[in-house]
Amino acid sequence: MRRFLDRLYAASGGLAAICLAAICALMLAQALGREAGILLRGADDIVAWLTAACAFLALGYTFRHGELVRVGLWLEKLAPRSRRVAELAALGVTALFGAYMLWAIARFVYESWKFKEVAQGMIVIPIWIPQMSLVVGCAIFLVAVLDELCLVLRKQKPTYQVAEEARRAAGDYSETV
Amino acid sequence: MSVLTASLVLLALLLVLLVGGVWIAISLAAVAWAGLQFLTSSPPDVNLFQSFWGSSASWTLAALPLFVWMGEILYRTKLSEEMFEGLAPWLGWLPGRLMHVNVLGCAIFGTVSGSSAATCATIAKVALPELKKRGYDEKTCLGSLAAAGTLGILLPPSIIMVVYAVAAEVSIIKVFLAGFIPGFVLTLLFSGYIVAWALANPGKTPSDEIASSWRERLQKAKHLIPCLLLIVFVVWVMVTGWATATEAAAYGVLGALAIAWWSGGLDRASFMASLMGATRLSCMIMFILAGASFLSSCMAFTGIPRALAEWVASLEPNKYMLIAILAGIYILLGTALDGVSMIVLTTSIVLPMVEKAGFDLVWFGIFIVLLVEIAELTPPLGFNIFVLQTMTGRDSNYVALASAPFFFMMVLCIALITLFPELATWLPDMLIGVAKK
Repeated sequence: MRRFLDRLYAASGGLAAICLAAICALMLAQALGREAGILLRGADDIVAWLTAACAFLALGYTFRHGELVRVGLWLEKLAPRSRRVAELAALGVTALFGAYMLWAIARFVYESWKFKEVAQGMIVIPIWIPQMSLVVGCAIFLVAVLDELCLVLRKQKPTYQVAEEARRAAGDYSETV
Repeated sequence: MSVLTASLVLLALLLVLLVGGVWIAISLAAVAWAGLQFLTSSPPDVNLFQSFWGSSASWTLAALPLFVWMGEILYRTKLSEEMFEGLAPWLGWLPGRLMHVNVLGCAIFGTVSGSSAATCATIAKVALPELKKRGYDEKTCLGSLAAAGTLGILLPPSIIMVVYAVAAEVSIIKVFLAGFIPGFVLTLLFSGYIVAWALANPGKTPSDEIASSWRERLQKAKHLIPCLLLIVFVVWVMVTGWATATEAAAYGVLGALAIAWWSGGLDRASFMASLMGATRLSCMIMFILAGASFLSSCMAFTGIPRALAEWVASLEPNKYMLIAILAGIYILLGTALDGVSMIVLTTSIVLPMVEKAGFDLVWFGIFIVLLVEIAELTPPLGFNIFVLQTMTGRDSNYVALASAPFFFMMVLCIALITLFPELATWLPDMLIGVAKK
């Protein structure tokens, strides 16, 4: 189970990274193509979809790395035991809302599948296909949050906290803007 | 429920969630859900999907992950190591001598890296030991590093600016261009302070002369020059209209890869590290943007921003008064929130107000970016202070005090662009045109 979950997060992060690289490649192809007089129709639509996929597919992976920001001001001052309670509360709220988010998104995408809605743009495909990235991304995010919740319930340090502390210790600040 | 009570309840809920350590994007979205569910008849789930999809499946937004990636690639090259040696021979003649390397090094590295904490840490790592060895004043060194580390977000290409442009729906290129002159002004103010300080304390600057010929100077700066050229190129293709912001960002990635390969810092591992780092950072920012966009749509339904804007307008505030109050609020917010959150959280509320008071939204972008810079310098959450504190082992008050003069230089810069808004708006208006948003 542990190995499966870790692979799931790594795979979704990898997929998001591929989307990022693909955005770059497509934009370059479009710009160079225009110079050569070749028009890449629909590249803009695909870039937009890839951007959404990049944002949402990486959610679970980024969350585990402790790079989704939050206000740590108060949390970091707590003693370990109260910190655990606070982490449980924060994870609980996040899990609840994550579940709601998944439901809202999945319901909408299900309807656009049922009513066979089509993308409005150059590329005429059913719109649920690119929109699936949001469903999959939010589902993996929910799994990751529940995973951490179980970890803290079993009195272990959450993975995102361990990752963040390791980065601080190594003097790596590249994840802040 | 009146608009006032409603907004206070939502604000209280947001504060509880944020302080409780709920991830910022989730906090924003949860407040939006509560607002829509209890204050309006609009279905929250449909709004949630439409804001999430609408804000992230956007061709304009694609510039963001690309600029982030460009920064991540250059961050991992040997650029930083050569920053000190490359810049030092050029700056030795100024009063304050090598202290100026801090300012200029941060300005250059910050434009490419886009993260002010990373800029501060990287330059400090190379410059601090060198300056200490030569006997420079530690306090002024730390202050200039902490402050100059933030220059990167004012000088384009800047990730914070892309976030603002997307959230405020103004042109990315115009905001980039608007940052140039204020960025130079701020660099001059920082360096000017160092010059003034050095002249006032003549004994505190060691007098070692680095004599070198032009040939040597160029030789040592050989990795800096391509980097500067890349920045100029990326901005130039946007200004001439030859490429859009997103395409320019893609060229930026290509150029960064070329520089990294040429300077020998590009292997499989560092390529993957830059790509994965960029993916995580972009994901974090875009998720906050999605949550904020949901909150904006909720705000539009409740009518809170409009009511607030009308209320502020009814007070007929002095323009400068409004700006002073907003600056105060942002400095306060900046003590607890990171820059991205600060911007996206407030745009939906503040922008209608600012527009009604007759301010240009591109100008306001520069104003807000300067305040984000200040936020990096104010304890307890000033990130640059934290970075230098961990690097030197000094306590945070010492570093904050050391950067106080530079903090005032930033406030001065804000006053300057408020009194002379043309500092920000002249360049974009001249090159792109006033009407084009």
